[in-house]
Amino acid sequence: MRCLHHFLITPWAVHCGERVRRLLWQEWRNRSAKRVLLFVGERWSAFFLVLMLVVFSLWAPHFFAFKNFTNILYYSTLYVLLAAGETFVIITGGIDLSVGFVMGFVNVCASIVMRNLHAAGHPQAFSMLIGALVGLALGVIPGLINGLLVARLRVPPFIATLGTYGMANGVALSLCEGFPIYFLPPQARVIGNSFLAYLIPGKSFAFFHRPQNLNADDLRALIGILPATVFVTVVILIVFTFILGRTRFGRHTYAIGGGKDAAIRAGIDVPGHLVRIYIISSMFAAVAGVLYVFRAGIGNFTTMSSSYELFAIAAVVIGGASLMGGKGTIGGTVIGILILMTLETGLNITGIPSFYRYIATGLILIAAVVIDQITPERRTISD
Amino acid sequence: MTDAQAGGSVRSAGRFGLWLGQNWALLFLLLEVVLFSVLGTRFLSLENLQNIFVACTVVLLLGMGETFVIITGGIDLSVGFVMGFGAVTCAKFMVLLQAAGLPQGASIPLAAVICLLIGLIPGLVNGTLVARLKVPPFLATFGMYGIAYGISEIISKNTPISGLPSAAGVIGNEYLLYIVPRKMVTFLIRPQNITRLEMRSMLAIIPIIVVIAFIFVGIFSFVLRRTRFGRHTYAIGGNVDAALRSGINVTSHLTRIYMISSFFASLSGVLYVLKYVTGRADAGSARMLDAVVAVVIGGASLYGGTGAVKGTIIGALIIATLETGMVNLSIPYHNRYIVIGGILVIAVLIDQFFPELVGRR
Repeated sequence: MRCLHHFLITPWAVHCGERVRRLLWQEWRNRSAKRVLLFVGERWSAFFLVLMLVVFSLWAPHFFAFKNFTNILYYSTLYVLLAAGETFVIITGGIDLSVGFVMGFVNVCASIVMRNLHAAGHPQAFSMLIGALVGLALGVIPGLINGLLVARLRVPPFIATLGTYGMANGVALSLCEGFPIYFLPPQARVIGNSFLAYLIPGKSFAFFHRPQNLNADDLRALIGILPATVFVTVVILIVFTFILGRTRFGRHTYAIGGGKDAAIRAGIDVPGHLVRIYIISSMFAAVAGVLYVFRAGIGNFTTMSSSYELFAIAAVVIGGASLMGGKGTIGGTVIGILILMTLETGLNITGIPSFYRYIATGLILIAAVVIDQITPERRTISD
Repeated sequence: MTDAQAGGSVRSAGRFGLWLGQNWALLFLLLEVVLFSVLGTRFLSLENLQNIFVACTVVLLLGMGETFVIITGGIDLSVGFVMGFGAVTCAKFMVLLQAAGLPQGASIPLAAVICLLIGLIPGLVNGTLVARLKVPPFLATFGMYGIAYGISEIISKNTPISGLPSAAGVIGNEYLLYIVPRKMVTFLIRPQNITRLEMRSMLAIIPIIVVIAFIFVGIFSFVLRRTRFGRHTYAIGGNVDAALRSGINVTSHLTRIYMISSFFASLSGVLYVLKYVTGRADAGSARMLDAVVAVVIGGASLYGGTGAVKGTIIGALIIATLETGMVNLSIPYHNRYIVIGGILVIAVLIDQFFPELVGRR
């Protein structure tokens, strides 16, 4: 009996215990692996951005510099504004292809008004202000048309905004006849390229006004902190992040994207809401257009090959939104834009021809969607 | 008037409205032609009409592939840059094969065939992403848009490819038929040894590029209308679940659809090389949306299940006539964007207000 116990039962019990222990261990490990996968899968874009910053900092000379990071933000502003407007549209399950050309249209209108007022002898501040306001006011029109077509006449968003895409482009080109608009108030360029604060290390510090009468050494040491355009953009983004995340308007936006029928049954005025969404999108484009005028100091139309709208959409999707609607955040979109712009800056600094950027953008975009597909579903609305 | 008469006239009015709604694109095309021939100079000349057909080939070919994709309920944003990719690879292979010592007669067709084969790859990738990995078509083909553009810029080193066999340009700008009045008629070969005066009176009929394009359009129109493949395409666009249940292999069918689309894109790349004797990465960049517009004007719905080759041909002709007519009247080129955007929206609105028309055209 003891023998039996010794040779059969004890090993068997040990074996069973071992198996149970192993199963539990595996279960725990699987769970935690799954949780890690989920954690990384949901935030992969942020991880990817950090990874990219580290790689470029190690690889590219002068990448890890304050000026360069300022540059990345500076070049991101226009794209991030377009993409933030696109985020609202994509959350409702639509798409806005017109943003790039609405930006060009507003840019041309605003700068023509500025030029004419300036030429008529009005003070610079007055002509710039009126130009900017006219531009922003005109920026409502494409959005209104898009919204009415999509919400009231049930035109698919792709087609409706493709129509305004063509019309905005054509009107902008007819107004400027295909040439940049010069002779704007010279102060515009100064404002557009100013920084919030200036620092000469160990010497002086000034808000808003660039220190005058500097010698060559000081000029080289001069550090601009936070470009004005970036500051304006950040303020706008914070406001709209709040609107999307914390207000009824934002909740309704997600609700419409999650299911239009359910949203209607819940008493949301879906057509009215959609019209407002498309107006928001084109207002973002209008702000980008006005900022562009101030930054460049000349007015310019959007060229056919610039594909602003596609980069904006790519950023929104990389940021975790789904084209089916109901998902997406402005924070994610900002990360998406930063990924694309870091990539571009990094490639430029390392001397790789810029068209590799297109390949990289395409690959990242496809990777984003595939990762989204294979990451197990957990969140419902804005995570 | 009796009741029967009144009923009959109402019914015929209804039928007329239906006919109008179904054929408005064709009527619009005729209207365009009439308008431009009244306002323009020599718009109705043989030369100009042929120019319209030459101008429509790119949009037509890209639109053909797009028609298949849109019928299945997808969209292919990559066609413009896949066309550029086709143009660049075709031109590159022509240069390489010529450098390898092949005669022009061999290097040109060989390069074209190689290019068409390579041109299936973007479609294969798109199709795999859409059908197997369930990536939304908009994003999958947009990814390919960037990748195809980047690769063609790398191949072409960011400059148009030159040094192609000279015969390429001869082939690309040839006509099917040359008629020198009261003297001779030749096929394909431009008559030699004729006087300047005869040269001026010579009629050149049907550009070879148009012939090539329409041969492929005809073949695939047949495939779409008369074969099981075509019926399955409509079935998938109508309802994927029903198509799956009725035993259609949706995955492989979709992959083939995207390959057809990129085949047509590279074909128009090859024709671009033959016509302009150069390869550029941005050969078709501005044409992608025109292709979608042509398909939608032609009566297809972006939700899938409807669309026909006939409609796409009319759509492409509307765009080409508009462009040619505007050049004829020396209206600035950019106004075409406004007009095409307007036509597009009107096209969809007509389909919205006459839902009974969808699928009939």
